[in-house]
Amino acid sequence: MQRAGSTENAPMPADPRPEFVKEGEKYLLVGGRCRSCGLVSAYVPPICSCGQAGQVQSCEFGPGGTVFSSTVLHIPVPERPPPTCLAYVDVDDGPRILAHVDLGLGVAPLPGDQVFLAGRNSLGDPIVKFDQKTRLVGTGVNDE
Amino acid sequence: MSELATICGVGTTKFGKQPETPARELAWEAVSEAILDAAITPGQIDAVFAGTVFGDPGVATRSLQQLGISGVPIITIENACASSTSAFHEGCASISSGRYETVLAFGIETMTASFSGAISPIPSDPEGAQGFAMPALYGMSAARYQHEFGVTDEQLAAVSVKNHGHGRHNARAQHQKAPTIDEVLESPVISSPLTLLQCCSIADAAAAAVLRPPGTPGGVRVLSSSLKSGGLWDQRSELVWGWQIVADTARAAYEEAGVSALDIDVFEVHDAFTIGEIVTTEALGLAELGAGGRLVESGHTTLGGNQPVNPSGGLLSRGHPLGATGLAQIAEIVWQLRGDAGPRQVPDARLGVVETMGGGTAGVDGNACVVTVLETPASRNAISPA
Repeated sequence: MQRAGSTENAPMPADPRPEFVKEGEKYLLVGGRCRSCGLVSAYVPPICSCGQAGQVQSCEFGPGGTVFSSTVLHIPVPERPPPTCLAYVDVDDGPRILAHVDLGLGVAPLPGDQVFLAGRNSLGDPIVKFDQKTRLVGTGVNDE
Repeated sequence: MSELATICGVGTTKFGKQPETPARELAWEAVSEAILDAAITPGQIDAVFAGTVFGDPGVATRSLQQLGISGVPIITIENACASSTSAFHEGCASISSGRYETVLAFGIETMTASFSGAISPIPSDPEGAQGFAMPALYGMSAARYQHEFGVTDEQLAAVSVKNHGHGRHNARAQHQKAPTIDEVLESPVISSPLTLLQCCSIADAAAAAVLRPPGTPGGVRVLSSSLKSGGLWDQRSELVWGWQIVADTARAAYEEAGVSALDIDVFEVHDAFTIGEIVTTEALGLAELGAGGRLVESGHTTLGGNQPVNPSGGLLSRGHPLGATGLAQIAEIVWQLRGDAGPRQVPDARLGVVETMGGGTAGVDGNACVVTVLETPASRNAISPA
């Protein structure tokens, strides 16, 4: 959501989106894990939600993940002409992040589908790729 | 049953795109109606709690001064879509504590001053910075429900058909035409699987309520009001966004009022998108987890059913002026409990619930949720059949 009023000359806010590193051909999500309670997130806060200070250490997650849900958005949002496919992805042993889905294969993933991190797109949005051949069968809704 | 406060008067404007009407005139209309309904004078108001999301700084003070409401504390609250129910919640708390005798709770929003369509995502939010518009959040909940519980397109559409059908009886609603299931499903896809007629419209409007101490004769009794922000919504969350915060807030409100979901005669809930009502009715205890789609199909929540939900037409019919929506929901339940709801009256309604859900922040299960339990005025209660 955007505050009312002109933002024409306002500076862009610092980029709040998750960060990634590339290791070989793989992209990994940079986040944090609490040494006390084990909670993971896409950030490294000074105090974990468990109450422990200074226990969240930086670590990397991925490159795989599982789709919690996805949608194809058909309305325009700034700089992103429709359609755009978005998904909540539970990164393997890591946090849940929002990512754009590369629709190269023209098929949107379903909950439970496996995806892999693919860094950021040209707008800086986290992006995941989906290989339909990896779709699990025998789960009812996913069956062809 | 305990009582936090009494609602002695309510008022709202019409709901719709009315960019030609200044905010102050919307405020005058809603607040004047509430003041006259409460049979008080502006000078009796000790404090104002206002809710707005996109309103200009000072909009409440600017809007109220010419009604003679000045020189008293005016506190503006932003809590996303739950802004004015948060204002109502704080107003009730201030009455209950004895801090004030007469409080105006007030909500205002002129959405067309900021947007021509869907609300733009906030660029400072990790998800908003990705262009994550609210329809996509609810689209993902609907997709998950279809996958996990087999909720059908027709069940989603049934919420739209029901609420637009209710809205035909509400002269203040923006949309007063009831579509068919096919018309809902054939309208353009906004965020799969949600179509246009499953998404609320933006609106300009104001709404207000006058609150007085418990026991004030003739007023609707506020039995409880609960306000919570969402817990972390992350990889540990199996429930869709917003389910847990509504359930937690409702549980607290029911416990405070000494009631259960089964006791409630009428609900106004946050149906910004059809899936929102399905999820919310489950979280409020009207259906088991995953059974909300079947609930709406059964007719249980339709006017004439056992527990009507959104007799006003809801946000889908009324439109969604964010900062005014919560108090519009309050106004509808007050009219229902006083027997003033005309052709959409729920017969013998004695207990009503309002639920408002506000979102827009990544990683939490909602910015805010308010659930309040209201009871019919004592005099009416005494003569109503059991």
